[in-house]
Amino acid sequence: MGKLGGFAKQLARVVLVLILVTFGVTVIVRLLPGDPVTTLLPFGTPEQHALLRKDLGLDVNIFQYYFSWLKDFVRGDFGQTYTTVADGGVQVRDQIALTLPRTLFLMGYTIIFSLLVSIPLGILLAYKADTRVDKTLSNVLFGFSSIPNFGIGLGLAYLLGVKFDLLNPVGYVPMTENVAEHFKSMIMPVLALSIGLISTFTRLLRTDTIATLKEDFVTMASSKGLSNQWILWRHVLRPSSLTLLTSAALNMGALIGGAVVVESVFAFDGLGTLIAYSINFRQYLAIQSLIALVAVAYILFNLIVDVLYGIVDPRVRSHRGG
Amino acid sequence: MGADRKPIGFYISSAWIGLCVFLTAFGDSLPITDYRANDFDAMGVGPFSPNHILGTDFDGVDLLAAIAHGARWSILISFISVFVASVIGGALGIVAAYWRGWVDAVITMYFNVTLSIPTLILTVAMVAVFASPDMSNPEAGMPRILVLIISLTFVIIPVLGRIARSSALSWTGREFVMVAESIGMKRRQIIWSHIVPNVVPSMMSVAFLAAGVVIVVEGGLAILGVGTDPGQSWGSMLAKNRGDISIAPHTTLIPAVAIALTVMALNYYGDYFRNRIDSRESRI
Repeated sequence: MGKLGGFAKQLARVVLVLILVTFGVTVIVRLLPGDPVTTLLPFGTPEQHALLRKDLGLDVNIFQYYFSWLKDFVRGDFGQTYTTVADGGVQVRDQIALTLPRTLFLMGYTIIFSLLVSIPLGILLAYKADTRVDKTLSNVLFGFSSIPNFGIGLGLAYLLGVKFDLLNPVGYVPMTENVAEHFKSMIMPVLALSIGLISTFTRLLRTDTIATLKEDFVTMASSKGLSNQWILWRHVLRPSSLTLLTSAALNMGALIGGAVVVESVFAFDGLGTLIAYSINFRQYLAIQSLIALVAVAYILFNLIVDVLYGIVDPRVRSHRGG
Repeated sequence: MGADRKPIGFYISSAWIGLCVFLTAFGDSLPITDYRANDFDAMGVGPFSPNHILGTDFDGVDLLAAIAHGARWSILISFISVFVASVIGGALGIVAAYWRGWVDAVITMYFNVTLSIPTLILTVAMVAVFASPDMSNPEAGMPRILVLIISLTFVIIPVLGRIARSSALSWTGREFVMVAESIGMKRRQIIWSHIVPNVVPSMMSVAFLAAGVVIVVEGGLAILGVGTDPGQSWGSMLAKNRGDISIAPHTTLIPAVAIALTVMALNYYGDYFRNRIDSRESRI
């Protein structure tokens, strides 16, 4: 009962946050300066203006507008963009279908690559804590974590793209087109986004592993004569990876923000670019649906982490249960 | 104890931050080249050229002068927005932690809602809200720098507020606060004399990190074309010269290095203060 009740309460809170976020975005969109109708159709007749106003839902008050938007959003109708040329606009859903996979690939590769590098590195640094290896590598990581991702991106674009002419610095190649080129087009954006994350992840894992290494069960294991490697990977990694997991999930949300800039640096039309474009060009329905989508994804990630917590650390599970 | 001998990184960071603050305050009255002057005999020359130690960009603008001038914008925007956000976020966090109940619920909900939209995207949206209503005439309305400061402040408030709340929560349960309550001290007095002095140090370390984040976000805004005017802040210098990276990489990399050094120094400060607080805590 206690467990179920706790979960229901958490779910209720998540739903409340979701409603508030989407409503908040509605308010922001309504606050955008200028009359959307004259911005989108500067040379339209009054009849066309009235029609567009009705289409955008601007003839009703904000609550009515919000609920009709929410009804469409839940059903997967994200609205359409409006252009000044008379092509009728594009469905936001189609734009998402085009850009979302790219951003998801980018984020997925980034998280996987960062974890692959930082898990062995974090364990190594903890094992060698306070030796020269640890100090040097820790300082290098600290330095790297301070370089903004667009700085790393531009540096890489110059080094690998121009100076050594190894990679094409712009554009995205879909996997269906050419698998090898797809991965090649991903190398620089993924590196630009990963380097900061690797540094964060490694530092977190190092701190937690050092704490775990002081626990009695580690002394016990090594007095049983188990090899250091076995102890580190089988006994120490799991209890030390909680903070790392949380950070990885929280960073998924932040990555979308980071991706906006990196996508722009590498002329890589992803979801982030689409959001920035929509805001700059006042695509009201698109802004609202896209930001809501990102927020929903972010909140769900957090929920998943909470659930994963219990799986990784049995202590949390028993607390929740009791 | 360890407070007497500071590590070398502390001095390097202090020197760089000190230089940036100095440039922010007195940058315009220094005897260096005017950052608006175009040297048409030396356009796009590399570092260590005669008259231009860091070289020039393709408008013939001296990069040293531009970096010195850019420090003003980057540092001003970052420090002001973090300071204002610390005051507002700190007040909200402490009030939430001390009053608990529905006040806490409302404030925490506000933090959570704001934090569930990625920083950069929320900032772009806020800039769009506060910017000039007429897209063809960006000069009208609020000055750009004010738009950026307000937007960044709004975005950074929940980050600092959440730290203030959790820090204040850990202090409100301490014995000396209970004693103060039991002898009938007023809430306002307890907050000012017991909670605030203890919350401020832990906020300081996060504020330094946040100042670094703001500088980076401002650079990101510039790359997306919604930052300061071209060539003003470091970020917009970088954005302006980005197209020349293949022929004159120094024009882009120099502002990037300036941003990286500043963020590094601010992160170092943040870490340094956190370690000091941790060791103080463990001694108590």
